[in-house]
Amino acid sequence: MFDHRIYEQIERYLAGTLPAEEKAAFEALLLSDPRLADQVQEHRQVLQAMQHYGQRQQLRHKLNSIHTEMETGSRAITSELTAWKVFFKKHAQTMAVAASVSLLSVFGTLWSVQQMKKPVQQQTARYIELRREVEKIKKEQRAIINGIASVDTPAPAPRSARFSGTGFAISPDGYIVTSSHVIQGADSILIENKAGLKYKVTEVHRNTDYDLTILKVEDPSFAGFGKLPYTFKTASSDLGERVYTLGFPREDIVFGEGSLSSASGFEGDTTSYQISIPLNPGNSGGPLLDEKGNVIGVINGKQAGQEGAAFAVKSSYLLQMVSEMKEREGNLTFSLPQQNNLSGNSRTQQLKKLQDYIFVVKVYN
Amino acid sequence: MRKSLYETDEAIMEGIRNDDDRALAYLYKLHFPMISHFIISNSGTDDEAKDIYQEGVIVFYEKIKGNSLELSCQIKTYLYSVCRRLWLKRLAEKGRYANRIEDSENYLSLEEDVPQHEENERQFGVMAEALDQLGEPCRSLLEDFYIRAQGMQDIVEKFGYTNTDTAKNQKYKCLQRLKKLFFTSYKPEV
Repeated sequence: MFDHRIYEQIERYLAGTLPAEEKAAFEALLLSDPRLADQVQEHRQVLQAMQHYGQRQQLRHKLNSIHTEMETGSRAITSELTAWKVFFKKHAQTMAVAASVSLLSVFGTLWSVQQMKKPVQQQTARYIELRREVEKIKKEQRAIINGIASVDTPAPAPRSARFSGTGFAISPDGYIVTSSHVIQGADSILIENKAGLKYKVTEVHRNTDYDLTILKVEDPSFAGFGKLPYTFKTASSDLGERVYTLGFPREDIVFGEGSLSSASGFEGDTTSYQISIPLNPGNSGGPLLDEKGNVIGVINGKQAGQEGAAFAVKSSYLLQMVSEMKEREGNLTFSLPQQNNLSGNSRTQQLKKLQDYIFVVKVYN
Repeated sequence: MRKSLYETDEAIMEGIRNDDDRALAYLYKLHFPMISHFIISNSGTDDEAKDIYQEGVIVFYEKIKGNSLELSCQIKTYLYSVCRRLWLKRLAEKGRYANRIEDSENYLSLEEDVPQHEENERQFGVMAEALDQLGEPCRSLLEDFYIRAQGMQDIVEKFGYTNTDTAKNQKYKCLQRLKKLFFTSYKPEV
């Protein structure tokens, strides 16, 4: 009798329905009586376990009924989908590797084909074409000038050329020759000589085999260059002959001298000479003259890592190209210079007469 | 039409919190094929799939009910992870080790949730056993009173006691026995 009353009290205590003063009394009793405390603890556990158990049973029951309800309905269409997913999960890595390998091989092939198509560009590894990237040098120079004395800032210059090379007149009618690689990718081309004469020119004929291009002055007010002081040599020049050139490796005209060191050019190229003149980017397209003032070639490039090995296309190929052009264009007012005014003059005299016919070729793109 | 009702995970969880059986049913049906496929393709049977899946859903359900769920992923992933773990354990108990599990989903490791659930399971097992051993009418009496929360008066009528005091006395005796049975085999791991 007594026991179940205690139980009732415990239950009411656990349920929190005990009145305040009874609760206080009960709690005091709990503190003083560890056996009772144990009892309460046990009681609580059993009750909780039982209640959880009941809830769980109910939940199980619910789930079971859901399950049977589901099974009577249509059976998963999704299993096909998950099968595919498993397959994908299993092989994803392999597939990724395969995909990257195939991508790599595709682009590798494309790249190598590109490389094979451009033997000339491959050559540049050792063969340097002497066209000059202007902007870079200009910037460097400006930096140097500013460093020396901080001059007040110059007015913003008109857009400067992207590349430059050298060119020279081959006919008084406004024809200029230069190297093809100088004007490669050009939008517009301007020429300018030491005297400050400026003309806009366009390309009229190109021969990439010889790396030569003929340009023509477009200016309507152009009246001709006047009589050219030099002629073109048709025969081959001899080994050891003293030669010189004029060009624009920088803003001003530069003279360079040396001798003809070989009758063939880069890797036995018979269309050019090897010469021993120190050359720099920007010299490309300049004339190569001998002692008597005959043009014997057109400066073209040099060999990397080799001292004093520069190359110039032989003048006979230039002449061949001129006749090619005449043939193609039909009626053309084009007259090659016939008389040489330079032979017998001293070198300095020769240069003075020459320099008006040498142009810097400025390429914009 | 139900689909629109429980389109998002949040909606499903909210439904379960509010004791909405349709939310539970929807959730149950939605993910069962995934688990079933997983169990069957990893050397299980239909019945085992059902068993494991129900356990997984129970874990999820109780987590939500207890407000202790911090879901950092989709319900789908959570269920998959729980069931995966339960199934691996089941396989280990059967002495079959899965050398290569074929997964169709990503999964989490769930370090805490599953052991907690196992502890609960053990308790329920003991409780079920204790109730079985208790025998009638004690079992019904206790279940009616504590689980179904019927009033003392109803119980008196149902079991044919003369008054509530006898019933209470009887209940006390039953509970006493249940406690003994329960605590002889259950030692809480605390």
